[in-house]
Amino acid sequence: MAEEQQESSQGEMEGVNCLAYDEAIIAQQDRIQQEIANSNPLVSDRQDLSVLQREYADDDTVYQLKIKDLYKKYSYIRKTRPDGNCFYRAFGFAHLESLLDDSKELQKFKAVASKSKLDLVNEGFTEFTIEDFHNTFMDLIELCEKQPNLQELLNSFNDQNVSDYVVVYLRLLTSGYLQREHSFFQHFIEGGRSVKEFCQQEVEPMSKESDHIHIIALAQALNVSILVEYMDRGEGGTVNHHVFPEGGDPRIFLLYRPGHYDILYK
Amino acid sequence: MEGKYNLKSPAVKRLMKEAAELRDPTEHYHAQPLEDNLFEWHFSVRGPPDSDFDGGVYHGRIVLPPEYPMKPPSIILLTPNGRFEVGKKICLSISGHHPETWQPSWSIRTALIAIIGFMPTKGEGAIGSLDYTPEERRALAKKSQDFCCETCGCSMRSALLTLTPNSNPSAEDHQAKRLAQQINFKAESSSSRHASESRGAESESSTSSQGDASTSAEQEAADEPRTEQVEASPSAAEEDRPLPPAAPSTGRPLSPRQRRAQQQNQQGQRDGREPASRPAFAPAPRQQQDESHTGSAVLIVLLTLALAALIFRRIYLAQEYKFDFEL
Repeated sequence: MAEEQQESSQGEMEGVNCLAYDEAIIAQQDRIQQEIANSNPLVSDRQDLSVLQREYADDDTVYQLKIKDLYKKYSYIRKTRPDGNCFYRAFGFAHLESLLDDSKELQKFKAVASKSKLDLVNEGFTEFTIEDFHNTFMDLIELCEKQPNLQELLNSFNDQNVSDYVVVYLRLLTSGYLQREHSFFQHFIEGGRSVKEFCQQEVEPMSKESDHIHIIALAQALNVSILVEYMDRGEGGTVNHHVFPEGGDPRIFLLYRPGHYDILYK
Repeated sequence: MEGKYNLKSPAVKRLMKEAAELRDPTEHYHAQPLEDNLFEWHFSVRGPPDSDFDGGVYHGRIVLPPEYPMKPPSIILLTPNGRFEVGKKICLSISGHHPETWQPSWSIRTALIAIIGFMPTKGEGAIGSLDYTPEERRALAKKSQDFCCETCGCSMRSALLTLTPNSNPSAEDHQAKRLAQQINFKAESSSSRHASESRGAESESSTSSQGDASTSAEQEAADEPRTEQVEASPSAAEEDRPLPPAAPSTGRPLSPRQRRAQQQNQQGQRDGREPASRPAFAPAPRQQQDESHTGSAVLIVLLTLALAALIFRRIYLAQEYKFDFEL
């Protein structure tokens, strides 16, 4: 009896502790987010690749060598805000940018994108909650049809409301594709979770970072090929790349450094 | 209402849509924005059948952040129910201990269904949660029908469609239970946090003194929330003093019945202590703890003495025997 009571009181204590910790953590996270937001636009201007060199110490040979390797293929970089949504934002911007002067591909993409909402609704997503996100996404595609100057697209991606709605929709597309192909993706999910649980914990909530599995799903959901250059502390002096889905002809190039994606340009 | 808000704001656009979607009450839930504020809604939900809340209809507020639906709504129950504290913000939120997080594709309806699904789950001491006895909850369920909201003029008897025998709640019910597992409710407002913290520390101390022989591990664990409580108490004192005990941040006083129930819930913990002087709680538990500590120390000394007496007697007897033999 006494033990039982102690147990329940310990549960209560944990409640108190975790709340205090959570609040402190949330407050700190907010501060960090604010700091990041102040110093990084959601999507930056295109910069010379040399900015990367300055980010690492001169005697940081691993990275300096790899940046040299990167130079062989790319000349520019566009940075995204490191807020956990960088993959989606980088992908969204880079892809629409690449479609600005390719109206044939743009029309193909528009068809895929406009049909995608129906697929999600058929999968059980509530129509009225996802349609705002879909509409925002379609608005941007229509903006691209008018062949605006690049700055206009960049402005849209730096408008937090628009930009985040696009991220939400890309997350929904990723989640939808993972769930549609759950029998395949189930094998790649760690921690004994179902694909649905994984989507609810790691895909749909904002600020959850993306891994291979997210990239594969989104690339396939939208039928877009993505090349990711992986730059980390691994030895070898060269940057490894990976194309999603394998064997595709990539239109967009992303630079991955642990925990973050930026856009690369040839 | 249309003229008052910027229709370009994503939150306004979305909330208008949700208001239209939820316009007509269902058998299980209903929610609408207040006439003068699109960002505050009032809702009514039916207590899930096959639970202690069967027959109850519960009313509450939903407060939407300007960033909605990117940020979750906050929910405040107004009807005493025995599961959630009245007048305290519970929000569908992030917690390091629960990986589930708000998703922008969820809606107010999702939140309502989650509340229904959440009612029969155990409070387990979570902040903003209550674990009343089934009897008390059933009594509150019955009484909930009499509730009439002054703000939105909504009476619980007519707030929802009446349940018909043909209505099949199982689909909704299933969805509710599923959601309840995903969503984590958590208290938010800081003054309510202090209140709950002190309550947490309070009940902790009482149980450990009841449990008499407290191990050092528990002792350590027990010290932790108390330190927090002590740190928090200056601000808690400022914030809480003008309010009645366990008063919600809205300043809405609890009904006597509710208060009695809460006291019952923490039976024997207050021991005639003045509930209004919350800051005084901080040192008090330590004293109790010390008493129980002294008690066990005295017991140990007594037992040691008794043991020593027995050993001496044994030796004495042995020696006596030896003497006898020699004589």
